Amino acid sequence: MRNVRKVRRIRSKIYSWVCICCAPLILLSISSTLKAEDIVRFGASLSLTGRMATEGRLVKDGYDFYVKHINQRGGIPIKGKPYKVEIVYYDDESDPKTATRLVEKLIVEDHIQYLLGPYSSSATFPASSVAEKYRVPMVEAHGSATTIFERGYQYVFATLNTVDQYTGGILNMAAGLKDPPKTIALINENALFPQLAMDGGEQHAKKLGINVVYKEKYPSGTKDLSSMLAVVREKNPDILLAGGYTADMILLVKQAKEMGVKPKMFGLMLGPTLPGFVNSLGKDAEYLLEPIQWSANMAWKDDVFGWTASDFARIFEKDFGYAPDYHPPQSAAALLVYHHALQKVGLADPQTVRNAIADTDIMTFYGPIKFNEKGMNIGKSMAVIQLQNGKPVVVYPENSAQGKLVYPIPYPH
Amino acid sequence: MTLFWQVLINGILSGGLYACAAIGFSVIWGVMNLINLAHGSMIILGAYITYMTTSTFGIDPFLTLPVSGCALFILGFLIQKYLINHVIGGSIFMTLILTFGLDLLLINAYLLIFSADLCAITPWYAGLGWEWGNVKIPYTRVGAFVFAIGLTLLLSLFMNRTKLGNAIRATSFDKDAASLAGVDVFKVYAITFGIGAGMAGMAGTLMSVIYSFSPVTGEIFTMKAFVIVVLGGLGSMPGAIVGGIILGLAENFASVLLSPGYKDAVSFFLLVIILVLRPRGILGKRFYAEVRD
Repeated sequence: MRNVRKVRRIRSKIYSWVCICCAPLILLSISSTLKAEDIVRFGASLSLTGRMATEGRLVKDGYDFYVKHINQRGGIPIKGKPYKVEIVYYDDESDPKTATRLVEKLIVEDHIQYLLGPYSSSATFPASSVAEKYRVPMVEAHGSATTIFERGYQYVFATLNTVDQYTGGILNMAAGLKDPPKTIALINENALFPQLAMDGGEQHAKKLGINVVYKEKYPSGTKDLSSMLAVVREKNPDILLAGGYTADMILLVKQAKEMGVKPKMFGLMLGPTLPGFVNSLGKDAEYLLEPIQWSANMAWKDDVFGWTASDFARIFEKDFGYAPDYHPPQSAAALLVYHHALQKVGLADPQTVRNAIADTDIMTFYGPIKFNEKGMNIGKSMAVIQLQNGKPVVVYPENSAQGKLVYPIPYPH
Repeated sequence: MTLFWQVLINGILSGGLYACAAIGFSVIWGVMNLINLAHGSMIILGAYITYMTTSTFGIDPFLTLPVSGCALFILGFLIQKYLINHVIGGSIFMTLILTFGLDLLLINAYLLIFSADLCAITPWYAGLGWEWGNVKIPYTRVGAFVFAIGLTLLLSLFMNRTKLGNAIRATSFDKDAASLAGVDVFKVYAITFGIGAGMAGMAGTLMSVIYSFSPVTGEIFTMKAFVIVVLGGLGSMPGAIVGGIILGLAENFASVLLSPGYKDAVSFFLLVIILVLRPRGILGKRFYAEVRD
């Protein structure tokens, strides 16, 4: 009995100490809300853990890069007064359902009026519905599925090129050649991203007058594409474009060679710039094309920091210790969109800011940004790299090319 | 017509490799009534062993067959001796759960050791081959086919002509009778699992020359092994070859005649037909295929 009383006494003591310790914290938080008018707060749910944690961190580093450098310069100057920038992050564990819930929390509980996007199309798709429901703008940087923008939404904008534009760079480049290719074969894995990419490729090719001689999909998890490629060989296309994930693309390149498929141009939607790809294929990877969103030698310069794409890459590497791929600049560009919109209309209500975002027409280190009525970025197009001597070399657009396109592909190489 | 011959050859060549990938699975299932769900992961281990050996010592991938075969034999022997033998007498679900757990363990171990990046082995002669008219026959695929069929036939000889092989077969027919005749059943089980794993390892070596692989690609091979074993007949060596080649042909012709999207549908449709018309498999014998309790 005495013991119980003793425990109670100790417990009440602990409570009072906790209260005393917390008091300054509470005061601090009150004072920070008092100062809140000098801060612009953004909110984002990101995949910081789970299966897309690697990519999620790249996105966060991109957002943080902007925050660090704009705050070093005093903040965003809006109507003559600088505002510091702060981002409220939540971890959605790479789960689209959690991301959707967290975006609602950001709007309802944290009163965030300006949203940034999560990582991946599958998370952006439902999360943007919440933004639309509450009429809060969301500038996203990593949802490339065209379907996100086909719902008539007013509050969703993307800095990146959507998946239907993936083949655009390669095909425009092909059409501009001296002896342009006349026929094309398209193959893809039966999955959302590759399917949308190749459907876009088919439309684009028809528009350019390139004859589509073969278009087929193969099931996910296939281990053998040789007979499909035997048919492609019979059709003898000038261009071969393929959409799928890395495992299939390695298989495809190997078996295309085995089956004697010899296109003049050979493009993959992803693979060549990913780790392990060139090592696995050696010389057979030579001359493959891949569309890319951004690279450090693009001829673009932004007007906020005055940095070119290569300045961005250099300073980013100094800050975070690794060379950025397209994820970080694509993310930072989303904040630059807000930067310009807020400068124009001030810290206005979400609807007014939304209208300012819709009128965006800016140049950034990530490239030009201008939205169509669906919220897709039509300012920039995909660049194209070609593997030359095992290294990706930007060959299109011409103003940021590092090297000349090798066309037609010489066989054998 | 060129296309027909090309597809026929593609089908037979991939069928041979499928047969080799399935034979270990078939032997283990036939002798012990044990469905080894970790079979695909063992194939992948063989592929990684070949990858490491060729990239370290620069030797030809086909020469690493004994290395991957021996390594997997030892691993399989130990797994059976110290793990599966303890539950083999119990319900079939226990062994299923155990091999499923083993599969997860292996996959995650590969992810830690080798990372999730894809690997592929590209010897200098990759992509080259004979040309017969317009029909291409790649060296690597022919090599994999010849070794696959050769290994399967060797295993068949071993089972039929040696004392140990006979002991294994005797155990598969009647465990108790074999035990009465002086066969150490648990030792035979360990050796059988070792042989099954060793065949998986060598199939992995052959597979690594043709396909790309990562820690998680094994699952597809377990699925294919299932189909082939049911098609050809449980525990039957010629059955595995026939089943493998039928599957290879079905997949390749389906992808040309219908659409590549239908090739899996066609092979599983075939599986259903066989199960309805000839549940023992094409070359299956009664005593192998019966599920004992």
